[in-house]
Amino acid sequence: MNLAKNSDALVTFERVTFTHYDRSAPALSGIDLSIRRGTVTLLVGPSGSGKSTLCMLLNGIIPHLLGGELSGKVIVDGHDVAATAVKDLAGSVGLLFQDPESMFATLQVEDEVAFGPENLRQPPAEIAERVTAALDYVGLGALRKNLVWALSGGQVQKLGLAAVLAMQTPLIILDEPTANLDPATTHSVHELILRLRDEGKTVVLVTKDLDEFMAEVDDLIVLSDGKLLAQGAPRTVIEQHGLEMLDMGIWLPEPTEIGMRLALEGRLPTAAIPLTVAEAADAFQGFRFRTQAAPAAPAAPGEVLIRAEELEFAYGGHTKALRGVSFEIRQGEIAAIVGQNGAGKSTLSKLLVGLLKPTGGRLDLFGKPARKWKVQALANEVALVFQNPEHQFLCDSVTEELAYSLLAQGVDDEAEIKRRVDEMLARLDITETASSHPFALSAGAKRRLGVATMLVGGRARLLIVDEPTYGQDRRLTERLMELINNLRREGITVLMITHDMRLVDAYIERALVMADGCKIFDGAPGALFQSPEIVERAALRPTSLRRLVDALRGCGVEVPDGLNTVQAFIKAMV
Amino acid sequence: MSEQTLAYIDNNSIIHRADALSKVAWVLVVVIATFQFQSSIARGIMLLALLFLAVFVAHIPLKAILKVSPLIFGVALLLGIFHYAVTKGVTPLFSIGSFVVMKEPLEDGAAFFFRLAIMVMASFMLIWTTDIRELMTGLVRLGLPYRFAFAIFMALRFLPVIQQEVDAVRAAHAIRGRAARSQLSHRIRLWQRYLFTVIVNGLRKAENTATAIESRGFGAYPDRTYVKDFRWSVSGILLVVVFLLFGIGLIVLERQHLL
Repeated sequence: MNLAKNSDALVTFERVTFTHYDRSAPALSGIDLSIRRGTVTLLVGPSGSGKSTLCMLLNGIIPHLLGGELSGKVIVDGHDVAATAVKDLAGSVGLLFQDPESMFATLQVEDEVAFGPENLRQPPAEIAERVTAALDYVGLGALRKNLVWALSGGQVQKLGLAAVLAMQTPLIILDEPTANLDPATTHSVHELILRLRDEGKTVVLVTKDLDEFMAEVDDLIVLSDGKLLAQGAPRTVIEQHGLEMLDMGIWLPEPTEIGMRLALEGRLPTAAIPLTVAEAADAFQGFRFRTQAAPAAPAAPGEVLIRAEELEFAYGGHTKALRGVSFEIRQGEIAAIVGQNGAGKSTLSKLLVGLLKPTGGRLDLFGKPARKWKVQALANEVALVFQNPEHQFLCDSVTEELAYSLLAQGVDDEAEIKRRVDEMLARLDITETASSHPFALSAGAKRRLGVATMLVGGRARLLIVDEPTYGQDRRLTERLMELINNLRREGITVLMITHDMRLVDAYIERALVMADGCKIFDGAPGALFQSPEIVERAALRPTSLRRLVDALRGCGVEVPDGLNTVQAFIKAMV
Repeated sequence: MSEQTLAYIDNNSIIHRADALSKVAWVLVVVIATFQFQSSIARGIMLLALLFLAVFVAHIPLKAILKVSPLIFGVALLLGIFHYAVTKGVTPLFSIGSFVVMKEPLEDGAAFFFRLAIMVMASFMLIWTTDIRELMTGLVRLGLPYRFAFAIFMALRFLPVIQQEVDAVRAAHAIRGRAARSQLSHRIRLWQRYLFTVIVNGLRKAENTATAIESRGFGAYPDRTYVKDFRWSVSGILLVVVFLLFGIGLIVLERQHLL
C-alpha cells in the first residue's frame, strides 16, 4: 500500500468507496492500492467480493455507464477516471470481459479485432497490420476469415484477447479468462500473459482461485467483501493471509495448502510454504509417508442404466461430434466425462437425456433404445442440470418451481407437494428464498435450485451435472459436491461433465475421457493421470497434488497410492 | 453448435460476393415487381427464380431453406387461406362434393401467398448471403451517421444470439416434463417462459454488449475508420440489372396476355 505514491504506478486507488445505485451496502470500501507498470497482478476474491466492480472502475464503466456513488480517487495512466469518459479511457485500458462472446460486435474474426482501433480512428493500413499481429500472437491467424460463433470456447477467449491487444493499451484487464477452458488451454493463456509482461504491458488478471501461476506474477491483490485484505508479493500475501483466504473460500494450489496446514501445526517453517510443485517437492522431502488403509472397494456394480455401442452423432450431416463411442453406466456409479473444449462432452450428455438422437451405433437408456424414448418420459429417469440453470426455470417463485417438477411427475396431492417441496428446500439450504423469483437468486442458489427441480420428484435414477464449477467459487462448488455425494449415497447415479481435475480426482471413481469425438480412456482418475499421452491428447493436466506425488517419488521418497486430496496427503505424512 | 438459420451462411458464392447495397436494391426490385404482377403465374415464376438462385447460385443448403420454410411458406399459406376465406367469389371454378371453389377467392388467396412468400424469401436471401457489417459500411457511405447504421447492424447481429438462446431454453424446458393437464395450457406456459427468459437474458446480453463496445471506443469520435470500406461490386449491379429485366419481362409478357 505504500506503493500508492510510487512514480511508476500505472493505476492508483485512493480511499475508493463505491456503492451501486440500487444497493445500500458499498461494493468496494476504502480501497487504497497501486499497480506498477510492466507487472502482472492477480486480483483474487470469492464470488461477490467486488472484483468485477474494481475492473469496471479501471476503465470507467463505473461510474459513467452503470451509475452509483463513488468517492475517493482512481487514477489510470494519468487520467482521473471520474472525470474521463469511457471512450477516452479506451486508449489506455483494454478490458476482456468475463463472457467475451457478449463483447463481440461483428461477424468475422478479423473484423472483430479491427473494431476497437477503427473506433479510435486509426489509419486502415495500420489497423490491418495490428490485426495480423494480434491474431498471430494468440494463434488464431489461420482462422481470421472464420465466423465468430463458429469458434470453440478456447478460441473465443483468444479472440477476445486479440481484440484487446489490437487496441495497444498500456493496461490490459482480463476478467476470469480461463473460467471455462480446458487445463491445457488455460496453461497457454497464462504463458501468453507472461509474454505480454515481457513486452512491457501491465496485466491485471481476475480469478476466483489461485493455481501455480501465482508464483509467476508480481503482485497479488485479495479482496474480501469489498475491502482490500492484502496486496503484495504472492509469497508474502500467502504467508500472512493464506489461512484467511482458505476460510473465504479461495482455493490455493494444493502444495501451498498442504504447506500452510503443516506450518500451522508447527511441522514446517512459514518461510518454507511452497508456491509450486517443485518447491513443495523440495520442502516435503524430509517427510515419510505411511501407507493408507486401502480405500473401501467400490460397491458391487448395479444394473446397467446406459449402454452405448459404437455410438455416433453428427450435427446436420457435417463432421461427426461422436465417433464409435462405447461404454456402460451402472446404477450407483459416480463418473465424469472430461476432455478439451469441443471434444463431444455436451453432445454426449444431450444424447443421454434424449435431446439428441444417435445418428449411428446403438444407445440403450434404461433398457430401451434411445430412439424410442420421448424426452418428457425420459425426464422421469434422468435429470440434467444445465450450465446456465436459468434456462430451466419455468415459474415465478422457488416454491412454484419445485411444485412444477412434482406436478410434471404426476404428483397432484397438494399436501404431498407442500411436504416434499419444504423437505427439498431444507435439504438444499434454500428455505429462506422460497418465495423469491428464481432469477433473483445468487449464482450458487440458482445452481442448487437447478439440482432441486431435477430431483424433487424423487424418480430420477441418473443425475447429469454440466460443469459444476461454472459461475461459482470453490466454497459453492464444494457445497454442491456435498449435495451430489449425499444423493449418491441415496442410490442416485451421478455423471459430471467438467474441466476441473481437482474435482475429478477428489470425488470421482471413473473418468471417461473424450478427444475429437472418441472415447480414449475409461477408468479410475489415478490411472488416467499416470498415462501422460492420454492426458496430453485430451488437453488435460494432472492436479498439482498428483504432480507433487510424482515429483517426490522422482526424488526417491516413497509415497503410497491414493493420496487424492490435501487431507489424505497430510494424514499420510509422518 | 446449433444450426444457424437466421444468420449469414458462409459460402463465398457469387451472390455472397455481391455488395450489400446492391442486394438491398435487388430485394426492392423483386418486391416491387411482385406487386406489379397481375397473375399468380408470374408470381410463381418469380418465387421459383428465387429458389433457383438460392440453391444453385448462392449454394444455400436445402436444409437451411427447409428449416425456415414454415416461416416463408407457412405464414404465407395462412395469409392466403385467410384471404381465400374473406374474399367474395362470383365465378365458380370447380366443386369437390358440395364444396364449390370460386375463382376470385382462389386468385386473391394465391396472390397474397406468393407476395408474402417472395418478400420473406428475398429477405432471407439477403440475411444468408450478406455480412451485415458490409451493409453497415454501405449505409454509412450513403450518409447515415455510423452510430445509426450500427444500430441496425447490431439488431441483425443479435438474431442468431437470440436463436441460440431460444434453442437452449427449449432444450432445458423439454427435460422438465409437463405439469399441466391440458396440452394447450402447457404450451401457453412454455411460450410465456420462452419469452420471459429470452427477453431477460437478451436484455442482459444487450446491456453487456453495449458496455463492452463502449469500452472499446465505440462512439469516441463522430466518425471512425474502416479497414474494409464499402465498394460497389459488378456482381451486385449485375444481380439488380438481371432481376430488373426479368421482372419487366414478366410484366410485359403478362400485359401481352402471354402468361
